[in-house]
Amino acid sequence: MKMKKVLALALTVILSSGLLAGCSKQTPSPPSASPQPTSSGSEAVAPVSGKITFSIWDLNSNSYLQTLVDNFTDANPDIEVEIIDTPSDSYVSKLNIDLNGGAAADVILVKEADYSMYQKGQIADLSSYIERDGIDLTTYNGLAESLNFDGKQMGLPFRMDYYVLFYNKDIFDAAGTDYPSNDMLWADFEELAKQLTSGEGANKTYGAFLHTWQACVQNWAVQDGKQTMMGPDYSFMKPAYEMVLRMQNEDGTIQDYSTLKTANIHYSSPFQMGTVAMLPMGTWFMSTMIDRVNSGESEVNWAIATLPHPEGLAAGNTVGSFTPIVINKFSPNKDAAWEFVKYCATAEGAKVLAEAGQIPGCATDELRNIITSVEGMPEGASEAMATKGVVLDRPTVPFVNEVNQMLGEEHGLIMLGEVGLEEGLASMAERAKEIKGE
Amino acid sequence: MPAKPTKTAHTRKGMALGMRNTVVGLSFILPNFIGFFIFILIPVIFSLVLSFTKWDGFTEMQFVGLQNFTNIITDKYFLQAMGRTLIFSAFTVSITTFVSLGLAVLLNKKLFATDFFRSSIFFPYVASIVAVGVVWNMLFQKDFGPINEFLRFIGIANPPGWTASVKGAVPAVIIVFIWKNMGYYMLVYLAALQNIPAELREASCIDGASPAQHFWRVTMPMLSSSTFFVVLMLTINSFKTLDLIMVMTSGGPGQATTLIVNYIYNKGFVSNHYGPASAAAMILFVLVAIITVIQFRVEKKASM
Repeated sequence: MKMKKVLALALTVILSSGLLAGCSKQTPSPPSASPQPTSSGSEAVAPVSGKITFSIWDLNSNSYLQTLVDNFTDANPDIEVEIIDTPSDSYVSKLNIDLNGGAAADVILVKEADYSMYQKGQIADLSSYIERDGIDLTTYNGLAESLNFDGKQMGLPFRMDYYVLFYNKDIFDAAGTDYPSNDMLWADFEELAKQLTSGEGANKTYGAFLHTWQACVQNWAVQDGKQTMMGPDYSFMKPAYEMVLRMQNEDGTIQDYSTLKTANIHYSSPFQMGTVAMLPMGTWFMSTMIDRVNSGESEVNWAIATLPHPEGLAAGNTVGSFTPIVINKFSPNKDAAWEFVKYCATAEGAKVLAEAGQIPGCATDELRNIITSVEGMPEGASEAMATKGVVLDRPTVPFVNEVNQMLGEEHGLIMLGEVGLEEGLASMAERAKEIKGE
Repeated sequence: MPAKPTKTAHTRKGMALGMRNTVVGLSFILPNFIGFFIFILIPVIFSLVLSFTKWDGFTEMQFVGLQNFTNIITDKYFLQAMGRTLIFSAFTVSITTFVSLGLAVLLNKKLFATDFFRSSIFFPYVASIVAVGVVWNMLFQKDFGPINEFLRFIGIANPPGWTASVKGAVPAVIIVFIWKNMGYYMLVYLAALQNIPAELREASCIDGASPAQHFWRVTMPMLSSSTFFVVLMLTINSFKTLDLIMVMTSGGPGQATTLIVNYIYNKGFVSNHYGPASAAAMILFVLVAIITVIQFRVEKKASM
């Protein structure tokens, strides 16, 4: 009995001391490291060499990343780049754990543009490198500013995606209607959806499809760039919600939210089965469509048009998101890392992306022509993809995750008719204030 | 080991005996304990430490005393989630216990295809939670789901919206929880029923007890320790329900099915507020501990 007590006590002591040791070892390391100046880069032209690691997700479906690395190492034989591949589902959490534990790669593709990495001091300031090498930040379609925090450029836009309007040509032909133009108002979209809706029950063809993400309503409200999803007042979202609720409840031109949600319907299947005429969706869906059509899984005769726009805004202004490329603040070889980042995020790397059908952050008309010449890309895609401006659907600011979660909850209630629109928007405003006040 | 009984060896052996037993004992639990220690005990204690700090996972931890706890218990979303969890637990524990006992009593007799029914009732327990969630979500579909089709067929004009409505979502997840778990607890009861000696039935029969009297006066008391186990496990499991909710509603619509563990998950892993999340987890731990202690007391009193 006594033995047991002694043992228990000993165990407790060992355990708690181990814990404390673990803590005390860990805690001082970030502060002691953080005051270190992030490699001045003033030693300039000295040739850089060494080995760096590059953190990405799903290499199998993103084989252009391998091409990118191969091309880079051919041109810079002194630098070795090792790819660290993680499945996309767990990428964000794995990256977070690696960063917190100090085990992250030197160069990182950020999956969800995230302010917290900057806030925690985990990524390096690239301003001095950018200045030294004369990188023109204006070539990034206005996206580079989103990575500028407190005057420091913390990364470069590597890749981007934005919303366009996918449509099914056959349904338009059958209805005897002109294809959607690249300069169309949301009101025209709503009207067109009415003309294209036909049939009943299981054979119904819907004029349009809006996925259950809050982005598929709220993005049309932030499209003009005057407001963001951060609020704090959300009454500006009223017109977008009114339109979507009309389409869902009165016109029946879109499938209702509750069915999509409970039956877990992914936006790709109705469009690929040809039961939907128009689908506002991100450019990432283009490569999926090309694949499905090539493999014979879908026979849809598809094309794209520019995303419809609200009144008072020029066509070609759209909403999107981008993938930043950043350098780990604790990377031992920042100079080599920078050479790689520079290659990936400027003209040469951008061309590799474009040839793979991906839109680089520094996309130009020339690069867009390369993208749209990929086999399987529909006619007119090049004009449809021209942009005047891309507004971020999720800005890189504090509390963006919490606000996004909250908007998702309120969006569900509004779409299900569980709360009135006014009430829902007021609740968003109230909760956004609560979140930011925390 | 054949030790020669010399004087020194004897004392060494005497000392060693207790020690050796302990070492042998420890070596038996060691493989399990190492895993438990690293993956459960340390994280639990670390979470206790975290609940008194402000920490984002990377920068230096700040000790904030009881601030996390006072913030949490005044947070209306925490209180709402707690309230929902209590309602969820009250219904799932009571109904599952009742249903699994009923099924066990029915299937205790050797009837037509008893084994088939036993297996089919147990089957949901071993089915994948993701498959269960997805299929039930479809069954619950508001307009053309089979459940509402049936309800309309038997004359209910406005069947509930189930997972697509605030009011119907909690009953929907309660139903699926019961369906998923009743098989296991039925098995517990079945085992206990078969342990009741046949003589007791004969004795009560001879004494002229009706079947109802036999059930309440003989069977139920004989099952009391199983009932205790069932209620205890169900209470703990219902308080820590997360997977079913994640798959079926992810806490929605709005926050209609956000139970306490979903709340903790969101606080910790969506918002990266590890301190408040740990504080909420500690409150949940204490609550479950209190309920468990009360149940032990009641059980002790009942069996005395």
